[in-house]
Amino acid sequence: MSESTNYQELSRRYGFAPKPESASRLTQLVARQDSDLDEITKVIDKDPSLRKRLLRVANPDAENEAEYAVETVEDALMRNGMGCVLVLAMSTPLALALAKSFQTMLSLKLEDIDRFAAEPLAGEPLLGTIGFSGRIEGRVFLRMNRDSARAVAAGILGISIEELTNADEIRDAAGELLNIMTGNFKSNLCDAGLECRLQPPEVRFSSDLEIPAVPGGGLERMAFRAGKIQLFVDVTANPWNQDS
Amino acid sequence: MPLKILSVDDSRTIRLIVGRALRPYDCILCEAANGEEGLAAAAREKPDLILLDVTMPVMDGVTMLTKLKEDPALKAIPVIMLTAESGRDNVIHIARLGVRDYLVKPFKEDQLIEKLGRSLTLKKKDEAPVAAPAA
Repeated sequence: MSESTNYQELSRRYGFAPKPESASRLTQLVARQDSDLDEITKVIDKDPSLRKRLLRVANPDAENEAEYAVETVEDALMRNGMGCVLVLAMSTPLALALAKSFQTMLSLKLEDIDRFAAEPLAGEPLLGTIGFSGRIEGRVFLRMNRDSARAVAAGILGISIEELTNADEIRDAAGELLNIMTGNFKSNLCDAGLECRLQPPEVRFSSDLEIPAVPGGGLERMAFRAGKIQLFVDVTANPWNQDS
Repeated sequence: MPLKILSVDDSRTIRLIVGRALRPYDCILCEAANGEEGLAAAAREKPDLILLDVTMPVMDGVTMLTKLKEDPALKAIPVIMLTAESGRDNVIHIARLGVRDYLVKPFKEDQLIEKLGRSLTLKKKDEAPVAAPAA
């Protein structure tokens, strides 16, 4: 029995949910260093949500589609290279895992929103990060205002906000949310041969809102809302580290 | 006699969720925050089942599982993996080491109880035992 057949049998036995096909295909294409740009273009063009997100990544300062300078998938890929495809492939399972976490742990439907329409972060928001290294390197950032962070922690722990006794509970819940999000995308990357290791999450309250620049890499900035809870998620990645 | 379940996870949040899911049942929950503590707790407590995370500091879940299966006194304890990682190579490696089941995070509490019920006869507090379904 081949390893892939064996994995399919194990997936059935353990009741794993199917992985998003277009994201898996995209990750496999990105993992090949001789990847065919035409094939990548076809995969993205066939999936309206991937297309929308690629154009958003390619037009980071545009507040709406009317302001897009880059309007086609081909143009976006030519201008931004593989770094932006890689973050797209990574952030798809990450966003799905985040939405599923809200659905299963908080019974809330999480919506992808325009980050320019989101209420800005203020004061000392919660900042959680997880780094990853290996064939690719990068970092995932999770930010929430304090009220959102408290609501998320209380929801995950199944208690009222008033019952939260200390900041450690809020930090630990946010750290676990980060673990779940990144664990899911790590699986997707590893399945495509892009082995990487996750670092432990770091969570603190901080007014430092800068995302470090990633020369030659990609950056996707996302925002989500569920009721009064609002989250910002940023993913940075450098394509394959040749030394690892 | 209550069942004893060992939860090995570096996240206090997950250990609390497991504790909340098990609250209605006649069981004792033991906790460990990494594989090293988990091995010591397994030897000390002799749990009926272990819930095991993969990515943890000090000693990860795969190393703990390997050591557990090498120990004649501990190798028969059923293990359910409880992790966000479901990559092909990891799952195949873990299955070969020998686990009873695998639950991917995020999970619902009733999914956890259903998985536990496949391996153990869970009994609600002050109630007659509910027979585990045939495997």
